Amino acid sequence: MMRFWSLLSCYLMLLLTTLPASAAALTVGAIYVGSVNDYGYNQSMHDGLATMKEAVPGVVLLEAENVPETAEAERVMEGMIQQGAKLIFATSFGHQQSAFNLAKKHSDVFFEHAGGWMIAGNFGNFFGATQAAWYPMGVAAGKMTKSNTLGFVVGVPIGYVIGNVNAFALGARSVNSAVQVRVVVTGSWSDKAKEATAAGALIDQGADVVTMHVDSPATVIQAAESRGVYSIGFQSLAAQKLAPKGWITGLGFIWAPFMTRTAKSVIEGTFKPAMVREGLGQGMLTIAPFGSAVPEPVKTLVVAAGDKVGGGYNPFIGPITDNTGAVRIPAGEAWGGDKMGNFDWYVEGVIGKAK
Amino acid sequence: MQRDFVMSLRGFATSAARQGALRAVAVALAALAIFALLLLADGKDPLHAYRDTLVYVFGNAYGFSELLVRMTPLLLTSVAVALPSRLGLINVGGEGQLYMGAWLASAGALAFPNLPAWLLLPLVTVSGFLGGALWALVPGLFRAAKLVNETISTLLLNYIAPLIVSFFIFGPWRSAESSSYPQSPAFVDAARLPSLGGTRIHLGLLYGLVGLALYALLMSRTRWGLEMRAIGGNPEASLRLGIPVAGYLVAAMTVAGGFAGLAGMAEVSAIQGRLVANLSPGYGYMGFLVAWLAGGSAAGILVMAFLFAVVSSVGDILQITQGVPYAVVNLLMGVILFIVLGQRGGGRR
Amino acid sequence: MSTSLSVAVLMSSIRSGTSLLYATLGEMVGQRAGIVNLGLEGNMLIGAAVGFAATFLTGSPYLGVAAAALAGMVGNLLFAYIVVERRANQLAAGLTLLFLGFGASALIGRPFIGVIITGLPRFGDFDPLVWLAVPTALLMGWLLFRTRWGLALRAVGEDPAVVFAAGRRPDLLQYEALAVGGLLGGIGGAHLSVAFTLSWDEGMTAGRGFIAIALVIFAKWNPLWAVIGALIFGGAEALQLSLQAGGADVSPFLMNMIPYLLTLIVLVFWGWNRRSAAPAALGRSFFGVE
Repeated sequence: MMRFWSLLSCYLMLLLTTLPASAAALTVGAIYVGSVNDYGYNQSMHDGLATMKEAVPGVVLLEAENVPETAEAERVMEGMIQQGAKLIFATSFGHQQSAFNLAKKHSDVFFEHAGGWMIAGNFGNFFGATQAAWYPMGVAAGKMTKSNTLGFVVGVPIGYVIGNVNAFALGARSVNSAVQVRVVVTGSWSDKAKEATAAGALIDQGADVVTMHVDSPATVIQAAESRGVYSIGFQSLAAQKLAPKGWITGLGFIWAPFMTRTAKSVIEGTFKPAMVREGLGQGMLTIAPFGSAVPEPVKTLVVAAGDKVGGGYNPFIGPITDNTGAVRIPAGEAWGGDKMGNFDWYVEGVIGKAK
Repeated sequence: MQRDFVMSLRGFATSAARQGALRAVAVALAALAIFALLLLADGKDPLHAYRDTLVYVFGNAYGFSELLVRMTPLLLTSVAVALPSRLGLINVGGEGQLYMGAWLASAGALAFPNLPAWLLLPLVTVSGFLGGALWALVPGLFRAAKLVNETISTLLLNYIAPLIVSFFIFGPWRSAESSSYPQSPAFVDAARLPSLGGTRIHLGLLYGLVGLALYALLMSRTRWGLEMRAIGGNPEASLRLGIPVAGYLVAAMTVAGGFAGLAGMAEVSAIQGRLVANLSPGYGYMGFLVAWLAGGSAAGILVMAFLFAVVSSVGDILQITQGVPYAVVNLLMGVILFIVLGQRGGGRR
Repeated sequence: MSTSLSVAVLMSSIRSGTSLLYATLGEMVGQRAGIVNLGLEGNMLIGAAVGFAATFLTGSPYLGVAAAALAGMVGNLLFAYIVVERRANQLAAGLTLLFLGFGASALIGRPFIGVIITGLPRFGDFDPLVWLAVPTALLMGWLLFRTRWGLALRAVGEDPAVVFAAGRRPDLLQYEALAVGGLLGGIGGAHLSVAFTLSWDEGMTAGRGFIAIALVIFAKWNPLWAVIGALIFGGAEALQLSLQAGGADVSPFLMNMIPYLLTLIVLVFWGWNRRSAAPAALGRSFFGVE
């Protein structure tokens, strides 16, 4: 018995003394709410970080997938900080509070949260300015639809996502006033079985163009393709290959330049917290290549709409009524970037309840 | 070889608590060995993994504090299983009772934001207890009236409780701030269970320890405990002796549910600070396993809950340092259980 | 709701309920032999992960489903070993399988997340597993109620001592029942990954294994009722999503509660009428006084 315990303690001491010293220029930690191979949001984040790692010498990247949007995230990020991380990317919306709590605790660690609004001395926020970018997507859908019914699968119905649906609807109705957008909410950023069923339900209602705001577009696109309807992608450009026949276009994120800049600023000690929102034409968001089914005139229209948005066009200029007939944005007013989280109503032409 | 090892340990220890603790260690070591093989098969380095665990979990104030944080709900949900088990009742409804405790506690916190802490906190605590208790009362009544077996009814109610919580956070309780993300508004500070220093260890741990102590005292030193154990041993004889069996059945289920409800209350009050959707990664079921592995003994529950917390922490570390998915911790847990179950033999619980 | 929409919801329920039906039938066979498997979810996850991986590696979804069935069987046999051979507490053993299934499926499926597979083809509106679902239920009904094997199996679930006295081996029958159960559970999981969503994600069964356990109770341990039950439980989700698409304002959470409330009410009703369709020895293990 004694021999056993003494052997065990020797073994333990041996292990503890062989810890390597850390020699990285910067250890960066990243947490994802899903898997990085999801053809969607998490993959786009991971790709950006991988590019950042190549671009900045001496970066060590720690990653954790499937980190739930609960206080558990705090544990994981703290673990990364213990491993020496000085810059943490909290990539999912629901990770914000946990990251913010840690920012208060560790003033020497810098945090970047994706998609929220909190700011602190060592806490910045970044995202693509997606709402306006959905406008050209709506233009594409409005032109390609024959049934005048578009389907939108929503994961978590937060204000920013509702804003995306609204811009999509506004874009579609700007080229086709008969169009209606039907919305189905699954309740979670990623639930493949629900997404497959939701897409099917929308198609059953006559939707011949389907799109989504969930973490991974793959399931919805595959469902659309198997039923022979069009699809518009979101989050990652890689999704195009899932729908060789039905792909119209999509929106993709390019995070790498921002991430590289941020990493460098931390190394050089010049980190400045900011609310970064880059739209089309500014770097973070781009329109995906068109599918083979899209005719030239439609392509031109969509590209023109994209350029317009890139040039600063804001689709949310009053008067805008919601789908119950009430005026939400009066004439002469506009909802700018800071109000994008406030949507709790759908524009006219959207069939669904926002709250 | 494994059997011999355990047999010699059994000869070494005599008291039940010591036996339980040593058994836990033996099981853990055996499981770690098997897990190391699995890691190797996946191309990972088990030595590195275990070393990281030792350093970041035991050799580290934060890591150790998180162990206690993880243990807290397990202490409560395992008492929720152990108490009724003494009467021969099987409560697998810890999950649902936890959620309903969280729900009622949130109702209390949200309804009275202006009360001072010394009033609000007890109110929220009692609500949490009540929520879980009521959710277990129904299966208790069904069982006492010989209508539905409590295993089935508590299992079914486990599904309904999270749906009720989701209904409220997506609907009537949805906070308008944070861009309408489905969650309740944040609780006022007066409704939050206080934490220890800068860690996340909170008063819930005290609830758990006190609950455990009360359970141990109840069973071993009170007349109620004696009568409950009699019911568990021979319900018919107890009935003939005049013991109010039905009353005890209902009371045990209700109190048990209350403990699980406290676990839920602690989660929303101390850790989350609001009502959210995914409160529990299976604390109710883990509590069942903890209680079962501990053979219903309070000291055993303490040790086993600690063991489970350690295993969960291994998962966190592995995820960050080795890129192994956190779900692999379930594999480790499963392996441990498989060994224990395989060894017990003879049909004993 | 118009007829065409009702038809669409029905079709969606059928597709959605197929994996549930297979899992329910599997659990039912085991319970008929007196063994409750709480770890069905783990079983299904293993089936889903292995099925997806095998489909990708072999290029054939049929081989994928076969591999999933095999893997499910292996998982359940591990469970059978500790329950039948080692006489372990069934609930604890089931939870063990649950944990093992979660962990193993995550490890197995990890390299395959995001890959594209050719899933099961559709014949008409449904893939082969959907077409075979009701026939499988009928087959199980026949096996349980019209064969000697089924009779012996049900007898084990009622009173193992009697079976032993009759010269058969109850433990062997239980192993066989659990093997069949594991096979079906694996197929149920595979349907989700190889036909329904064409993808794999950790924990993708989302509680279907537990729903199936409730379904067994709802179906009164009868395979034919399981078909109705799977439609209702599978339909609840399809219905609320379809209602949303149609513009109706219905709470998905309230709708999803209905199947469970229904089951509970039905159980109370039976208890009131002193009727129990449960296998007697299953009741014994539920009461846990071992």
